[in-house]
Amino acid sequence: MQNSNKLQTQNNKVLVIGGGLGGIRTALDLAEAEKDVVLVDKDYTIGGLMTQLDRTFPTNNCDLCTLAPHLSESNRQEHIELLTMTSVVGVTGEKGNFTATLDTQPRFINLEKCTGCGDCLKHFPECVRFNPGLDHRAPTCMRYPQATPQAFSIDLDKCEDVEALVKICPAEAINADDMVIRREVRCSSIVLSTGASLFDPSELDYLGYAKFPDVVTSLEYERILSASGPTGGKLVRPSNDKQPKKIAWIQCIGSRGLQKGAGSYCSNACCMFALKEAIVTKERFQEDIETTIFYMDMRTFGKDYELYFERAKNEYGVRFLRSRPHSILQLEGSDKLNMIYTVDDSTKQLNEDFDMIVLSTGFKTSEESRKLAADIGIELNSDFFPVTDGFNSVATTKPGVYVAGTFQSPKDIPETMVQASAAACMAATDLPVLDVKVEDTEEEQATERDVSGEEPKVGVFICDCGDNIGGVIDVEALVEEAKNLPFVTVSKAEGHGCSRISMDNIRKTIEEEGLNRVVIGGCSPRTHQAKFQDLIQTAGLNKYLLEIANIRDQATWVHSGKPEETSKKALELLKMAVGAVVKAQPLTDQTLPINKNILVVGGGVTGMTSALRLAEQGFQVYLAEKSDKLGGVARDIIKTLEGNDVQEYLTDIIAKVQGHKNIQIITRAMIVDHSGMPGMFKTGMQSGPQMFYRQIEHGVTIIATGAQPNRPPLYLLDQCASVRTQLETQQFIFTNPEVVKTWENVAMIQCVGSRIPENPNCSRICCQNAIKNALAILEINPDARIFVLYRDMRTYGFQEQYYQKAREKGVIFVRYKADDPPVVEMAGDQVDVTFYDPILSQKVSFTVDNLSLSTGMIADNDSTEELAMIFKLPRTGDGFFLEDHVKLRPVDMSVPGFFVAGTAHSPKLLNESIAQANAVAARAQTMLARDVINLGAASARVDGKLCAACLICVRACPFDIPFINADGYSEIDPAKCHGCGMCVSECPAKAIQLMQFEDDRILAKVEQLLERISA
Amino acid sequence: MEKFEPVIVAFCCHYCAYTAADMAGSQRLPYPTNVKVIQVPCSCKVDALHIVKAFEKGADGVYVAGCLEGDCHFKNGNEKAARRVEYVQKYLDEIGIESERLEMVMMSAGMGYRFAQVATEITEKIRKLGPSPIKTATAL
Repeated sequence: MQNSNKLQTQNNKVLVIGGGLGGIRTALDLAEAEKDVVLVDKDYTIGGLMTQLDRTFPTNNCDLCTLAPHLSESNRQEHIELLTMTSVVGVTGEKGNFTATLDTQPRFINLEKCTGCGDCLKHFPECVRFNPGLDHRAPTCMRYPQATPQAFSIDLDKCEDVEALVKICPAEAINADDMVIRREVRCSSIVLSTGASLFDPSELDYLGYAKFPDVVTSLEYERILSASGPTGGKLVRPSNDKQPKKIAWIQCIGSRGLQKGAGSYCSNACCMFALKEAIVTKERFQEDIETTIFYMDMRTFGKDYELYFERAKNEYGVRFLRSRPHSILQLEGSDKLNMIYTVDDSTKQLNEDFDMIVLSTGFKTSEESRKLAADIGIELNSDFFPVTDGFNSVATTKPGVYVAGTFQSPKDIPETMVQASAAACMAATDLPVLDVKVEDTEEEQATERDVSGEEPKVGVFICDCGDNIGGVIDVEALVEEAKNLPFVTVSKAEGHGCSRISMDNIRKTIEEEGLNRVVIGGCSPRTHQAKFQDLIQTAGLNKYLLEIANIRDQATWVHSGKPEETSKKALELLKMAVGAVVKAQPLTDQTLPINKNILVVGGGVTGMTSALRLAEQGFQVYLAEKSDKLGGVARDIIKTLEGNDVQEYLTDIIAKVQGHKNIQIITRAMIVDHSGMPGMFKTGMQSGPQMFYRQIEHGVTIIATGAQPNRPPLYLLDQCASVRTQLETQQFIFTNPEVVKTWENVAMIQCVGSRIPENPNCSRICCQNAIKNALAILEINPDARIFVLYRDMRTYGFQEQYYQKAREKGVIFVRYKADDPPVVEMAGDQVDVTFYDPILSQKVSFTVDNLSLSTGMIADNDSTEELAMIFKLPRTGDGFFLEDHVKLRPVDMSVPGFFVAGTAHSPKLLNESIAQANAVAARAQTMLARDVINLGAASARVDGKLCAACLICVRACPFDIPFINADGYSEIDPAKCHGCGMCVSECPAKAIQLMQFEDDRILAKVEQLLERISA
Repeated sequence: MEKFEPVIVAFCCHYCAYTAADMAGSQRLPYPTNVKVIQVPCSCKVDALHIVKAFEKGADGVYVAGCLEGDCHFKNGNEKAARRVEYVQKYLDEIGIESERLEMVMMSAGMGYRFAQVATEITEKIRKLGPSPIKTATAL
């Protein structure tokens, strides 16, 4: 908007098509790395599909709360030009020099003027555009409270009295003469994140979706649960507005090639989606509702997803039936839905009544996306998803055009976020390397009001956060009570405090009332403090004059069923925050220059990929590998399921890494110490045959330490030569084809050492491994009989097609139960395998020439434990490194400056590791683009007058920062101080204070909490 | 007399315990309302004075929650905090406040479950101990 002239002439931009979660991530990653982005979305607010969801797995968090900060972030980024209601009508040119033609539809509302007040909606509801969900018009036509842009959109065709409509707007924002604007944008690369649409089950008569209102899709069910949905979050049956008592989910609707018009692939996310809906339903109604999931295979293969599945089963009592229901009927005179099905392995027909039935509809690409793909000239596969590179899943068949998210293949949010960052990384490689110094935006940090000498005037703003807070306690009552707290001038309820409207209201209130302190009663400061700090800064207050009372995470979320006590506690938390904020003083952040070198720990494919991407962008990379050669586990893999040559790829990337002038490879490296802070780390390692010690200075650390193949002592592994892991099987097939030709019977056992109490998670890679090897065996020896003994086949996404192929070629898949695993006995050189066949209903035994065990991957506990200790990084229960946010920050770690990629994060396939490797390269660049790092304000300050120079602080400091200066008292360099507060609590003279956590601020909380008692 | 509801102050370090509390929240793991969290950058920031002040003002129980041993973001702040807690416990005994009312606990950021469990256990323990002697004294 602000730089449309520049737009016409330069091609140093990336065009991101689609403003869903993935597109936003790509745009933000590029913008934070100082690259220019044009983000277009055909809708009138960005956010895509995710804004329609109620909560997301596995945390069951409210999406809006986690997504909101991203959206407003995206709008205010100066490098992003956001064009809503805009579609791409044509693309010409090639990598480095594309020209895209964009059409922007008329909104009939001037974005600059619209305040989102809603007057147009109130008086002319039929003219305001609104689309998500079951029911129009409800409860507000703003897509969601945090919508970006925060403005309505008018459908002029539906309006009878245009003049009156124009007049109704107090901001004079309605412009009836608005029209389509066509423009051309030149760009170096294009990222397609147009998302996918969902399968429409209307055609499938037997499911009754078109006939019975109580049969809904999973997304519609989500809308019913959602606080911003048509029922305001009340779970009621669409047919009669009564609460359902019995709900069923049917999986794989429109996926796995089952129905007319269905895709041949697995839609990847639906199992978790249904689990989440069932759990959230159970959470709300507990004993009062029955939930049943009809499934084929439960595909909970993601990181810690299996634990979520177990919780659904064991803690929430969700019922699971392995069945594909035959049909749904509604009998004359009945208001129930009657489902006809058979269970599992019997042929008996069963009938069961349900109040609601949810169809877990899968993903498919939209006609629009397909047309766009054709216009741009990228190839699509037989399921109309883009054909992508076997090792680089974001690269399409056309150089310079990348794809991320559900348009690439069906996937869930974390994987969308990974691909979005990976696409940002790849798109940036096509940009001309520019050496632009960004002008300082000093003016933006508007004048800060001097509040010293003012009497504290505190404003308290309390969120209802939809039902999260408002559904448990009476927010209005709390607001009233807060008015009586000392120094409180204003107390208000603010709905979603993080929404644009509320933020605006808060800012106005601060300015109008002349507030000088702010308390937010809402969610965790860990996620929202920065946002509210920014807010009060725009209102002219120092950002440290803020306290957040975490009444959601610490009260309404954890004391359900006790509304009275919860209200009391919420008030106490508010009192504590008010008491503390009164003591708050304005502070200044410390900054330091950043070290732009990168340390990559782990020289497998993941580590090498990250190193290479960053080196290509001109950064100096140290690549530390603990063994004596690069390559990691990939050295032992011959081909991927899709038939791509891993060894060729590996040889190529090793050569590139070794040949790159910006990469220094350190083999036999053992990390021994680590210090410093984000942007200026120092890591010590011993390396080489002599174990020489050296220290590396770097600003960012990438953890790519991988995982190791599991080798549990089960099923005669390491006792019998014909028992092999799948990795060994593949090598054997390629090195001994003549032996494979003689094999008559082959058995494979899945989940060996996975999904068991000792290692509860799914290893993700094994199902496709078994199919890969089964197909390879049949290639050499078509007569071999292959049995795959499995628990759930988890061939997600396009892997499903290979599962299908294996079955067509005669591979026999037999399911076993965890409590009745196959029995294996030695029979000379061969092995006897005995298992229960559920179709024959009896035990079956046969002798096999080869038994392949799908042993999966486990964390290399020895090395990860040590690294976790040295770097202070959190790990999951099974030893993998823990990301900062499962959904939205899947490769960032909670310790700033650290990123994780590949199998160090969780088991995954090679191309998935590479996507993460590219993603961390993009994420690292967002940090390295800055010239300084902000150290915050929490540093220790010594009052020289009180200091007795006793040296206790000098000895207490874990980082040796305090020293006795020339004036004879202790001095602490604020730029070096880490802000732990150790010296403060040790100082006998109380001469030291930790800024932001001053003693009087902490004690004020104690006093406020206990005031009632001591009084 | 109505049922005794103890007031318990939990000083939680930013990196682990406070994050664990958030985790307990997002997983909706219930624990008693008696526990009120005060955030500190590191458990070692909790001064003996803060603890004693809390008791003086009438808290029935206090606990300091830091990272697991070896996981402290500031090298060994949690261990120092543990030593300080031990010291204050002795002091409490001397002045006639049961030292069981004060505790040091450790947990990692991912342990939402442990946070809820610790909060529940400590509340139960303090409930059994009854109101703090200071509270009883000042109520007279």
